[in-house]
Amino acid sequence: MAIAERGYTHWDGELQERRRPWWPITRHGIRLAFKRKYFKFSFFISLMPAFGFLVGIYAAEKIQDFKVMIKGSPTLLTVDPGFFRAYFAGEFLLFMMLMIMVLAGAGLIADELRHNALQLYFARPLAKKDYFVGKAAILVFFLSLVTLAPGLLFILFKLIFSGSFRFLGDYPWLPLSVIGFSALVTAFFSLYTLMISSVSKNRRYTAIMLFTIYIFSDVLFGIFYGSFRSPYFALLSLKVNLQQVGAAFFRVKPPFPVPWAYSLAVLLAVCAAAAVVLHKRVKGVEVIK
Amino acid sequence: MSIELKDIRFSYGRVQALDGVDIKLEQGAVGLLGPNGAGKSTLLRILLGFLKPERGEGRVLGHDIRTEQALIRRRVGYMPENDCFIPGMDAVTFTSYFGELSGMPRQEAMKRAHDVLFYVGLGESRYRPLETYSSGMKQRLKLAQAIVHDPRLLFLDEPTSNLDPQGRKEILELILDISSKKDIQVLLSSHILSDIETICPFVVILNKGRVAAHGELQNLRETSFRLFELKVKGGPGPFLERVRALGCKVEATEDMILKIYMPPGLERAVIFRTAAEEGLQVREFLRSQTSLEDVFAKAVGVD
Amino acid sequence: MSAVIETSKLSKWYGNVLGLSDVTLSIEPGILGLLGPNGAGKSTFFKLLTGQLKPSIGTVTVFGEPVRNHHRVFSRIGLCPEQDALYEELSGWDFLANLLRLNGYGRAEIASRAERALATVELLDDKDRIVRGYSRGMRQRLKFAQAIAHDPEVVILDEPLSGLDPLGKRKLIRLIKDFGRQGRTVLVSSHVLPEIEALTSNIVLIHQGKILAWGDIHYIRDLIDAHPHIIAVRSTAARALAAHFVGEPYVHKVQFENSGDLVLFETTNRERFFDRLTRYAADAAAGVEEITSPDDNLQAVFDYLVGT
Repeated sequence: MAIAERGYTHWDGELQERRRPWWPITRHGIRLAFKRKYFKFSFFISLMPAFGFLVGIYAAEKIQDFKVMIKGSPTLLTVDPGFFRAYFAGEFLLFMMLMIMVLAGAGLIADELRHNALQLYFARPLAKKDYFVGKAAILVFFLSLVTLAPGLLFILFKLIFSGSFRFLGDYPWLPLSVIGFSALVTAFFSLYTLMISSVSKNRRYTAIMLFTIYIFSDVLFGIFYGSFRSPYFALLSLKVNLQQVGAAFFRVKPPFPVPWAYSLAVLLAVCAAAAVVLHKRVKGVEVIK
Repeated sequence: MSIELKDIRFSYGRVQALDGVDIKLEQGAVGLLGPNGAGKSTLLRILLGFLKPERGEGRVLGHDIRTEQALIRRRVGYMPENDCFIPGMDAVTFTSYFGELSGMPRQEAMKRAHDVLFYVGLGESRYRPLETYSSGMKQRLKLAQAIVHDPRLLFLDEPTSNLDPQGRKEILELILDISSKKDIQVLLSSHILSDIETICPFVVILNKGRVAAHGELQNLRETSFRLFELKVKGGPGPFLERVRALGCKVEATEDMILKIYMPPGLERAVIFRTAAEEGLQVREFLRSQTSLEDVFAKAVGVD
Repeated sequence: MSAVIETSKLSKWYGNVLGLSDVTLSIEPGILGLLGPNGAGKSTFFKLLTGQLKPSIGTVTVFGEPVRNHHRVFSRIGLCPEQDALYEELSGWDFLANLLRLNGYGRAEIASRAERALATVELLDDKDRIVRGYSRGMRQRLKFAQAIAHDPEVVILDEPLSGLDPLGKRKLIRLIKDFGRQGRTVLVSSHVLPEIEALTSNIVLIHQGKILAWGDIHYIRDLIDAHPHIIAVRSTAARALAAHFVGEPYVHKVQFENSGDLVLFETTNRERFFDRLTRYAADAAAGVEEITSPDDNLQAVFDYLVGT
């Protein structure tokens, strides 16, 4: 029998080293993202194309019998690599991905810079790279749900509804393309977002910057293309670069007669720039003034 | 031995921030003082494992400061000076989050977060969003995240800045309670000398990159065994005359404090007797002692 | 001595929110310490004193004249605000010189005043560096310099010591005390009570918009009847000492501290207590070594009045 000790008490547990020290960052980040006002709504909307395309796959199979009734055959109902490209590089999806980045990602680093939370992170046994990986994983999570998951589901559904493996036989490289392109788009958007989030302390400015740079690059392309008619200006537009590479991955004719390797280079350059900017902006040593 | 540093040197480019620092600290709260630019922040960065000293070596909690920096940071708690929080979180989430990042398993971090928040006095408001917190509450939150993982060494950087007298008192009480645990070392860096006097029996004074003075505050202060400070009620004139006649040196300062230097052989009781005979009341009677401010000034070599 | 600042039933509301209520004060030359918890009304009070706000009820006069929109009066007041509202792009010298221009001085006078002010706060070496590069302590000193550069008779200092290291504080305290001795009127507000005690024993305590107490802290302490005074006496014969007082009716509590040689007395009648104590201590056998009053300080007064 005893009266418990009052005042400060010790903890009798043991501090462990995690295999993935960045995991709490990701978990909390995902929870915080869902708390944001319009995020759930936007995320839901960005899943609509996936849903629509899934229905399309089903319809494509079942409507074969009724094809005679339909004048011509809408390309949407032909499930081939073009179908995949239409989904992955579609305007709407790319735009929704940007929306998700803005809502979930604009404040990821900006808020912590503004409220001096970085010093709390780095006073822990957390390496700078773990911090970035943790933050990026949040965005990767959401983006994968919109790219990789639907892509693989499409393949699966097609196999199920067509009842045979013929589809895979025709396009054996397709799953790899899906994985590859999802990885590229995800990596690009995550790094792009993190980079801009680290540039300012104000979440609103970073959100505006995220939008503006993306859209402006496209507008710029439009202006130059309209004036000079050279398709190489397509390299200016981030969106078009994504579409070019998307077309290449799915072995479909790209929208502009520019080698897709150039577009890939532009995208990778942005990723590299992001890495540099992040390292400079988040200086671990600046913890104590 | 929680902190041991030998001949630490560090410079930022051409500026020599630390120029040969030797420190050995065991248990008990230690105050870290120094003029601005003395090297306190650099020292803290090295202790926290952010910087590698150019020369010299040391151990913090038994870990080498050059090679085991992450291990040091696991077992150390840091309460920063400026405000820090993460918007959108409440106190429990915030505290357990940082507990997890220190290496606590998720459920343990949650349990400990609740405990610690009650301890610092945020129990009632632990589910409220952090944006609604007052400055006193934010300060306690900073303390909570610093102790959630039960560190053996705690760095507190100006813990009472921007607090009103009530808030200061409460934080100081908390820190006193924590530092009374024999196995937690508290290192308090502050410009407010009365805070350090309240909490720290030991001090380290830095100046120009070196240790200018260190040791038990008690020992650093010069206690004069023959100089006393008094406050009396009543006209002191005749009293002081008589005391002088007894062979004492007497001085009256502007704050109405009487300083009496007694020659050896004279007993204290004589002063009281003289005062009683002159119809005075002695309301304060103390052995004169240098204040921490004077210790500081002397160590830094001023005035 | 006639009052320099007079307020009469001074009150201010911001919409529904109370700032200050019914403050009537006569402030004379010398140093006055202003304290109160956050939100008590100190900044409102300062803004009313410097004419930045218009009172909702009541009046405030400085040098016998109302302050609001009264440029001549305002140039005799110096304000060192709490916030860091400095122009980051200017150098320390430019900042000060520009503010002095607003007072209408000529170029030569501006230069000499600025130099004197910067020398006083020991920023002369850094006068050409831009403010963004200043450390916290330097900014604080620059704020102080702009408050005194035009030689005001009334100086209002809101948390002047924050951000300074102990030596800087000491110098500033000496400076402020000099100002008080020169016959200026200095109002100082601070959260660190021992620092106010080092400056002055004359205080005003504001709480929830009203004045809780004003005057010399020792007299205020005497007036707080609800809390008997604590007197700590250290003696080699502690028990005998305690026994000598236990029978006295004005002694309410006798407490031994852990160390065994310290006795804490609580009494409502210090006169009789100290009388008896002084006579008791005259006997060497009593072994009285030390007498202190642990709650005769600003923190205790604050606690008793604001109520912990």
